[in-house]
Amino acid sequence: MDKPLLNVENLSVSFDTPKGVVEAVRGISFQVGQERLGIVGESGSGKSQTGRAILGLTPGRVEADRIEFDGINLHKAPARTIRAIRGRRISMIMQDPRYSLNPVMTVGWQIAEAYRVHTNATKREAKQHALDMLTTVRIREPEKVYGLYPHQVSGGMGQRIMIAMMLIPGPDLIIADEPTSALDVTVQLQVLAILDDMVRDRGMGLIFISHDLHLVSSFCDRILVMYGGQIMEVLEAGALDQAEHPYTKGLLNCLPDIDRQQGTLPVLRRDDAWMNRKGGAGGDVP
Amino acid sequence: MIKVENLDITFGGGAQRVHAVRDVSFTVASGESFGLVGESGSGKSTVLRAIAGLTPGWRGTMTVVGQTLSQRRDRAFHKQLQMVFQDPYGSLHPRHTVNDILKEPLVIHRMDDGERRILRALDEVGLGPAYRFRYPHQLSGGQRQRIAIARALILDPKIVLLDEPTSALDVSVQAEILNLLSRLAREHDLTYIMVSHDLAIVAHLCSRIAVMNRGAFIEEMSDEQLRTGTPEHGYTRQLLVASKGYDRAAIDQFVEFD
Amino acid sequence: MTDQPTETGLKEWLLSDTPQSAAQARCQRLYLAWLSFSANPIAMLGLAIIVVLVGMAAAAPLLTGGDGTEQALANRLQPPSVAHWFGTDELGRDIYDRIVWGARITLYIVGLVAIIVVPIGLLVGTVAGYVGGWVDIILMRVTDIFLAFPRLILALAFVAVLGPGLENAVLAIALTTWSPFARISRAETLTIRNAEHILAARVQGASTARIIVHHVTPLCLSSVIVRLTLDMAGIILVAAGLGFLGLGAQPPLPEWGAMISTGRQYMLDQWWVATIPGLAILIVSMGFNLLGDGLRDVLDPRSGGTS
Repeated sequence: MDKPLLNVENLSVSFDTPKGVVEAVRGISFQVGQERLGIVGESGSGKSQTGRAILGLTPGRVEADRIEFDGINLHKAPARTIRAIRGRRISMIMQDPRYSLNPVMTVGWQIAEAYRVHTNATKREAKQHALDMLTTVRIREPEKVYGLYPHQVSGGMGQRIMIAMMLIPGPDLIIADEPTSALDVTVQLQVLAILDDMVRDRGMGLIFISHDLHLVSSFCDRILVMYGGQIMEVLEAGALDQAEHPYTKGLLNCLPDIDRQQGTLPVLRRDDAWMNRKGGAGGDVP
Repeated sequence: MIKVENLDITFGGGAQRVHAVRDVSFTVASGESFGLVGESGSGKSTVLRAIAGLTPGWRGTMTVVGQTLSQRRDRAFHKQLQMVFQDPYGSLHPRHTVNDILKEPLVIHRMDDGERRILRALDEVGLGPAYRFRYPHQLSGGQRQRIAIARALILDPKIVLLDEPTSALDVSVQAEILNLLSRLAREHDLTYIMVSHDLAIVAHLCSRIAVMNRGAFIEEMSDEQLRTGTPEHGYTRQLLVASKGYDRAAIDQFVEFD
Repeated sequence: MTDQPTETGLKEWLLSDTPQSAAQARCQRLYLAWLSFSANPIAMLGLAIIVVLVGMAAAAPLLTGGDGTEQALANRLQPPSVAHWFGTDELGRDIYDRIVWGARITLYIVGLVAIIVVPIGLLVGTVAGYVGGWVDIILMRVTDIFLAFPRLILALAFVAVLGPGLENAVLAIALTTWSPFARISRAETLTIRNAEHILAARVQGASTARIIVHHVTPLCLSSVIVRLTLDMAGIILVAAGLGFLGLGAQPPLPEWGAMISTGRQYMLDQWWVATIPGLAILIVSMGFNLLGDGLRDVLDPRSGGTS
């Protein structure tokens, strides 16, 4: 396979609290190519902080040997370089469009703005691109939706608008942080299908962060399982039954399965020994 | 135990009218676990809240333990029917300790053996007396939900309404809470009505399941029927397919159901 | 946990994760709030000013020679000196003594207004917000009526009817100060009303009164306390204004506003008579403002303060 889009080495994120230093991410390493990489974990596993640290969007303290994107070390790059990359070449889709879209501007304007900021397009060109993008994310009547405000659109449509906004500058890598967790299950899958098509058509890389192991394993190509700020295991999608780490196996077992009647669900037994893995290297691009 | 006939609820007026529940009828036998499944806007939570007495202005007939319900509920009703809410972060008062939270229903219903009941309730949900004087922000999500369950049980009700009790919890914690709910149902012969959007959870805990969409009942079935994959209605079948994970070909077949 | 808290034992007790009693839990919350508050130097300055004010008022007999009302006409309008730290006023009274004793009056005014205004505001606001409907409409219109009065005009009207005096001034100030607290409480209540813990209380069978008192009011307290401390400065100034007009404290009470009023005539040549009480008002108002700011940072749930 080609050279990886993103190469993360020994990433750590920590926060200072009145009760001491909290290490959200502890020295993890991984690579992302032109593929769909899933990062799965429960709350407190550090998965969201990892995504944010790549773009420098976390208030915590980030330390890394390197966060390399297209030959640039994002960790050491000057603010101007990072600003040029953010949005234009690496984009981020967040969980709830109610909170991530600006409530006082129309959605069409926000999409057009996202285009204008990263290119030198005129207002008319930007509007046309925005309308095209709305059609690409399968919104019917794009002209009408262009003039709506965020509170007037449903969750699924809001997330599609978010995708339009984040993909219109044509980034190479997308980080999606629980992009469908706030949606109904059928809508979730429809939104993911759109994301899937766009990633495939444009040859982008996708980092998909989620707590939903089943969803990630059916949607992504590779999966990183995180716990306590470290990578426990790396799996190929579809190879979940070959998972070796007790955390992954425990997580899979404790989900209620619709196909069988279970009396008591097996409960995940946490082992402190898991926290003593040094960092955890995960996922060199094959 | 619970009988609902022709329940109809409309919110708002004029242009903002929302017909949240349309002519819903069902019965729940004593000791049974009944599940209500649907996506957002299906009206499932509204039905639950109407039974609990939280939505005035409902139309229809509701009978609980032989008593026909009126718009207002009396204290005796609340002793028999309690509710566990979805958000463990929102359903506990941020300024009350666990002790205050568990004592509240006892004070309202003027029960004397408060001390004994509180300790017993904590014990039943698997938390020791060490948690008694903590504030909610000092508890994890799973622990908060256990307190919410303890609070619901402290009056020894016969019926517990569960409004998506595990949706806001981590997967591993969810399993513990589901096991706890199963055990408590067995030990106290409780009747549950559980609302969820997750078919797997509802099939696990409930013996009979009703599917709702846009305020109306689509169909009712047993958990076995759901499991063996033979629901009659297209909407239920679509929901079942969607709950199995991402399948590109299947997604293209999805339809809007009105 | 040790029974006799030692230096580190006490800290452990205050920071422990498993409080053993309701009292310990409450102490812990207060301690954490204090830690958060004391990290803010400006807020601590405000607190220090208020503490000095209260100390002055409490220890007035110890800190002064007389009670500030002894006249000595031969000694009038003396500049600040070793004998009279702040000089003397037009009747020969020691201004330092009058400032210190005047602190009691300032505290009296502020305290009395607070005691009247907070319960009324909370009650009206929470009931209006929670019960809604006609009750809400009527209570809010009453609130609006009181809100519409400019303070000084109402005080004048009051005094015209009842006669001048400190208590009447306090009543007049209270009547024009309670309305914003009702509005704040109502706004908070509207947000809280649909929270799941309130619904849980309803499902448990709690009466409306119990919910308002035990569940809603504790959550409104933070905003109300912050608003109160920020309003204190305004209250002091209005009281000073009334004193200035001769409608508040009557002579010979050493109320700071009245002191400015009488000192006005001597402003050019004997600046200390009016300026010193003016500075006292300035410092105390600022102290309350800074304290209020600091409290808001600690208590405001929106900024993620302590719960």
